[in-house]
Order: sequence, then structure tokens, then C-alpha cells
Amino acid sequence: MDSLIPFTTSGSLVDCVDRKMLVVLRDGRKLQGVLRSYDQFANLVLEDTVERIYYGDVFAETWKGLFLIRGENVVLLGEVDLDKEDDVPLQQVAWEELVPIHREEIAAKKKREETKAKVLFEQKGFCKEGGEGDGY
Amino acid sequence: MSEGHGAARESSLGEWPRSTLPLSLLNAAQNKPMLVELKNGETFNGHLVNCDNFMNITLREVYQTNAEGDRFWKVKECYIRGSTIKYLRVPDTLLDAVKEEQNRAREAGRSARGAHVSGAGNRGRGMPQRGRGAVRGGPMRGGRGRGRGM
Repeated sequence: MDSLIPFTTSGSLVDCVDRKMLVVLRDGRKLQGVLRSYDQFANLVLEDTVERIYYGDVFAETWKGLFLIRGENVVLLGEVDLDKEDDVPLQQVAWEELVPIHREEIAAKKKREETKAKVLFEQKGFCKEGGEGDGY
Repeated sequence: MSEGHGAARESSLGEWPRSTLPLSLLNAAQNKPMLVELKNGETFNGHLVNCDNFMNITLREVYQTNAEGDRFWKVKECYIRGSTIKYLRVPDTLLDAVKEEQNRAREAGRSARGAHVSGAGNRGRGMPQRGRGAVRGGPMRGGRGRGRGM
């Protein structure tokens, strides 16, 4: 029966409805919530959503509630295995504690990318990269 | 309510889940407060005035924040082109409100026709009789319209 379902957004996502899903956005944000609905553009309705940030082997999360995500911005959508999620060897810390560290990491990464792009452009004859979102 | 889930799994090829479609949810959010984040990171906090199927929206009493989150503007009313939106955050209570409204509409439709069908088993099958199977069915919607007039 499964093989009869064509590989379309609707065909792939029916089984994910009412499951806890991980959504990664193009800006790098990671959201976890229950997928309640979607459409042909992969616009998503995510209920009881939390945003998670990671750094090394710690993570932090904060409550965000009900989301309507425009499909274009989704990089990845994956089901969270409820049996295994508690076994993940990551330690949870307070959100406020991790946010500044996380922000620093993003800034550092951005700087690294800029330096790399500069070298590639000025010394290696590459063209300039576009703006945001090229990372994916 | 596990209704959406069950129906979505039972239904076959290329049909959307029974639960509220994303754009229907947006429609139902009219006059409700929401936070809109654009692709460029700017956010808009306000009440939804109107929206369309492109996700274009108008908000009133808006607080606009720049991407860095360090500058704010107060805007009386603004229009946002749908294609620039990253996501919208809407009130948690909205999903329940919409489902309740849908149930009421369904019940009203039933009793109006006089054919009172009870039980979940008949859900969906009876719909085509209404003769308006494809209210919002896209091109992907098969002939066996299970359209639920909204």
C-alpha cells in the first residue's frame, strides 16, 4: 500500500501528522512540535512548539507555542523517536545561559564564512556568493 | 481530538489531512494577535486584519522589530507580502477554536438536511452528496472528493 502513494508532499507527510517532528529552518533554527497540518507547499502547522539550541553536548529549549511555517523556509522535517529521545547523551541547561554562547557561535561562524568568501573571491578567482540561505 | 489523525491515515492518495489547513488557520486568525517573522529576520507583532491565499496579510497596531532585535517601530497598519514571510506565531487556543467551529458547521449542515448521521464511521462518505466536493481541492485532489465544505 505504501508503494502506491506517490512521492509528493502530501504523500510523504500524511504519516507525520500528529507526530512530534523536528523542523530545521533555512536560518538554522531548530523547532520541535506536533505536526497538525500541512498543504501542497509544505506550509506547516506546528503545535506545542519549542525552539532548541545546541552547543557541544548541551542544549537548551524555550516554549514557542503554535506555529504556521511557510514551506519555503523548511530545510528538514523529521520525526522524533519518542522512545529514544531521552537516551540522547545531551545535557539540558537553562535557555538564558546558552543563548549568549549560541549567539557568539553564530557570529563566529558568519565571520569565518565571510573570510573564506573573501579569500576565494580575491585570490582564487571565484565569484561572490549570494546572500542568506546559500548554506543550504 | 484524534480525529484529524485517523482520517488522514485512512484517506488514500494525495489528500490533505482533515485537520485545519495552514491557510485556513490563518484565515481563522483574523482579529487575533500574532507575531510574523520575515525571511530577513524582522518581526511584526500585531493583530491580523486580513489575509489571502498567497499569505499576503495586513496587520494593525503593529510593533516592528529589526532583525537584530535592538530597534523598534510602532506602526498603525501594515501590509506584508506573503512571499517574504518565514513564519507566523498564532495564539495556542486557535487550533481548538477552529476545530470546534468546524464541528459546529458540520452539525449545522447535517441537521439542516434532516439526514442525521451519527457515528464516526460515516464521516466523509456522506460528504459528496452535498455536491460541493472540491471547495478548496487543489489539482491534486482526486475525484473521490471528500471535501469538507467549510
